[in-house]
Amino acid sequence: MAWVQPDDADLRSATMRDEPVLQGFHLTRSFGDGETRTYALRDVSLGLRKGELALLMGPSGSGKSTLLAVLSGLLEPDRGQVLARVNGKEVDLWKLTPRQREQFRLKHCGFIFQGYNLFPALTARQQLEIVLRWGEGVSGAEARERSREMLSLLGLSKKCHLLPAQLSGGEKQRVAIGRALIKNPQFVFADEPTSALDWAHGEQVVELLRIAAHERGATILVVSHDHRIVPFVDTVFHLEDGRLQESEPPDETPPPGVRFRLEMPP
Amino acid sequence: MSYTLTTLWHDRQRYLPGILAVAFSALLIALQCGLLFGLLSISTIPIDRSDADVWIGPQKVLSVDTGQPISESKLVSRVAGLPGVTHVEPYIQRFSFWEKPGGGTDLCIIVGCRLTEDSIGPSKVLPRELRDRLTEEGAVVVDESELERLDIQHAPALLEQGRFATAKINGRPVRVVGLVKGMRSIAGPYIFCSLFTARSIMKLGSDQTVYVLAKCDDPKHASLVVEQLKSSPLQQEQPDMSVFTKDEFSYKSRMHWLLKTKGGLALGYAAALGLLVGLVVTSQTLYAATMASMREYAILLALGIPRWRLRWTVVTQAFWIGIFGVIVSIPATYFLGELATHLGVKPLLSAELMAAAAVITLGMAIFSGIIALRSLKQIEPVNLLR
Repeated sequence: MAWVQPDDADLRSATMRDEPVLQGFHLTRSFGDGETRTYALRDVSLGLRKGELALLMGPSGSGKSTLLAVLSGLLEPDRGQVLARVNGKEVDLWKLTPRQREQFRLKHCGFIFQGYNLFPALTARQQLEIVLRWGEGVSGAEARERSREMLSLLGLSKKCHLLPAQLSGGEKQRVAIGRALIKNPQFVFADEPTSALDWAHGEQVVELLRIAAHERGATILVVSHDHRIVPFVDTVFHLEDGRLQESEPPDETPPPGVRFRLEMPP
Repeated sequence: MSYTLTTLWHDRQRYLPGILAVAFSALLIALQCGLLFGLLSISTIPIDRSDADVWIGPQKVLSVDTGQPISESKLVSRVAGLPGVTHVEPYIQRFSFWEKPGGGTDLCIIVGCRLTEDSIGPSKVLPRELRDRLTEEGAVVVDESELERLDIQHAPALLEQGRFATAKINGRPVRVVGLVKGMRSIAGPYIFCSLFTARSIMKLGSDQTVYVLAKCDDPKHASLVVEQLKSSPLQQEQPDMSVFTKDEFSYKSRMHWLLKTKGGLALGYAAALGLLVGLVVTSQTLYAATMASMREYAILLALGIPRWRLRWTVVTQAFWIGIFGVIVSIPATYFLGELATHLGVKPLLSAELMAAAAVITLGMAIFSGIIALRSLKQIEPVNLLR
């Protein structure tokens, strides 16, 4: 079994840091022109800390995905600033050139989107390898080894050779998470990662993200409608009509016995 | 196996139209060129079937059948004295007019050569018995497939009775003393005869010829002999002849026909159409395949994989589609080539031609990949969030 009960009480406090590593200031983003112009974001400011698992909630059309896209360097805001702290240096994401931003995402960002978006022809292992080989240019042998290791951490060591069609929904999403984490990114952005899963699998996915945040120190922003995620996260942001509501730590604690941790290799 | 090959194999049904389109293009180019080259090779049968290593003709001659009369004795003396030359003889080949027994005329090609056993001209394609018959003035031999065109369908029956079909060429009476196989022509039937008969038909003097053929002690020395003749002081000061090796003259004659008959243009047009079909189908196949993987590519772009890497993937797919298409086309081309041969048109499918068709088609496949790159422009990772 790759999943075992944790032996420490609180994974969260071990990795949380106070210093924000990803901050958005006065972010505004609109779509359309003139009378058809609609504002997806209105003067949104927020900060995420290292090792924090944050949930961004809100009704459909509230601007959640737009905020995720702006913070991750995929969509330029009309106004505002996104500052990321990497290796002790502060980077203004939207002052970088497109090429520099691409490089930033390559080095520091992982993404999990709705659906699994896995290449149907490639095995679980190849889905991860491709990111390392095409992105970082690592050798085939190294990419294979690192991918196998990551899938093993995700409890998919016996599924490495299977195609997406041969995997269950939960397994596919775990492969997608592996693809996002294979580069060991500092920031992970997940858009509705549990939407296609039943809760048993959805819970596993959230746990994985929690572990990635608390054990690997990744800063993770999850966009979701799913209230069942709330007990597992460190911070919840509410967005309504493009405006951020008061955020607060979730008052619920994760139910006992459902938390897992990754079984690290010896 | 690379990710590209893995994808091609997994989605083979999706990529099959592209592969077949490439195969179709390669087949079309190879077979059309092969058929044309096969036809053109007919125009140089007299050169290719001769034993002559060096062909000397009138100045600025364009092809074997467009030569003008030249002085035999003047040239023979210049050629025969050269080191390495072992045999020299005159040879006449020119267009003329066959006057059909039933009325009307048609173009024909007079092939007049020495009929002796040691002749280096194309008369060796005729059996000894026919060559003997040709020694008589006015005797000619034609290919049995040209009888209808020459309006002498009754010639075989007459020959069986020991009689000959008669006609006129250029106003001179001739009689068909025999038939030969496999000597078809494009422009006009070959009319084999003796040098004497040829001169008579063409109204040439006894010292006049159209070509002087030379044989070398070693065929490899042909280029040397050609160079010597070209660089001789007489030729340098007052050029009065053209000199070629056998292969050079054969190639020059074929090229002349290719250009004169606009065959090259027709060939280029048809081949371009074939390529266009291949280009459109392959490009659309790749476009559709890329669009089908749009979300997967978008994820990779979001993860910071450079766009050029995805472009490279599409072009690599195009390359492999090209390779597989060419592989499929090779047996298909040879099969259809055999079929054409059975139907009476033999294509000349040389290795060089097959290689050229493969390279051109592969280039087309890669170009189609480049065209399909427009699909990647539509892929934006942010679209995954909407």
